[in-house]
Amino acid sequence: MRRRLPASAEVVPNLAPMVDIIIVILVFFMLGASLTLAREGVLATDLDPRSGPGAGVAVEIIPAVKIALADVDDGRDCRVLLMGRPLAGGLAELARRLEERHAAGADPTAPVVLAAEAPVRWEFVVQAMDAAIGAGFRNVQFAVALPGAKQTAE
Amino acid sequence: MRFRPPVPVSLTLNLAPMVDVMMCLIIFFLLAGRLLDEQFLPLELAAARQARPADRRDVGRLVVNVRPGPAGRAEYVVTRWDGRRIVPQALGADELAAWVRQRSEELRRLGHDPWCMVRADRAVRYADVERVLRACGLAGLPRVVFGTAAAEDD
Repeated sequence: MRRRLPASAEVVPNLAPMVDIIIVILVFFMLGASLTLAREGVLATDLDPRSGPGAGVAVEIIPAVKIALADVDDGRDCRVLLMGRPLAGGLAELARRLEERHAAGADPTAPVVLAAEAPVRWEFVVQAMDAAIGAGFRNVQFAVALPGAKQTAE
Repeated sequence: MRFRPPVPVSLTLNLAPMVDVMMCLIIFFLLAGRLLDEQFLPLELAAARQARPADRRDVGRLVVNVRPGPAGRAEYVVTRWDGRRIVPQALGADELAAWVRQRSEELRRLGHDPWCMVRADRAVRYADVERVLRACGLAGLPRVVFGTAAAEDD
């Protein structure tokens, strides 16, 4: 009996599962990439615990460090005052001076009060707060103006 | 009759469907997690080096987004559930304090300890953010955090 060799068949891998998984992986990385593009963090502050629904009663805080930001050129720049004295170097000098204070033994838990004039851009306020926290002061508080009072950086 | 042993059959496990289902589940949970970030409007936040990661899972938080609005006034954007989806709601300066007070009372009734996250665009004025701080103080929320962007390393 003559045995016939089977006709050679083309072996073609099934590509459907591979394409399916590749598309799913693409969608996964598209979603995953958009979640990591914007990295956000937080800077924390604690309002004075004596504040509350008291119709805006003034609460006085005695600060260890007082930082004030004055408006320059309608929000385009700001002048920095540390304990009432202007700093020529601006926010960079503020960070350095605060680090010197901390290294000299200032209490890091003592309140650091940050006051700013109304037109000062928010990013300058954040930079000042960032400098205080970076220098080791953890208790940064804000001087909130009473309704009707004009806020000046002093 | 010659008894022939059965031809061994090789068992192979097709992993493609399992990987496919796993990736679909991962994508599902990625999308579900993004719904929790609906309160975070796209803003140009001020950068801070000392920012720590935000705890976005805390249900006791109020999120107030502050962005530049028309005519040089800031807009306070919060989110609310309208029964079907989360929708943004722009508040005026007068409505902000009432909203903060109302939401904090709701959260306290539910047994949560409310706190506030303020996400302010870098270009808004300090006075606009101060309004949120005042509203938080009047509502008895001592804990406030400011959303910031991660600062780029020099």
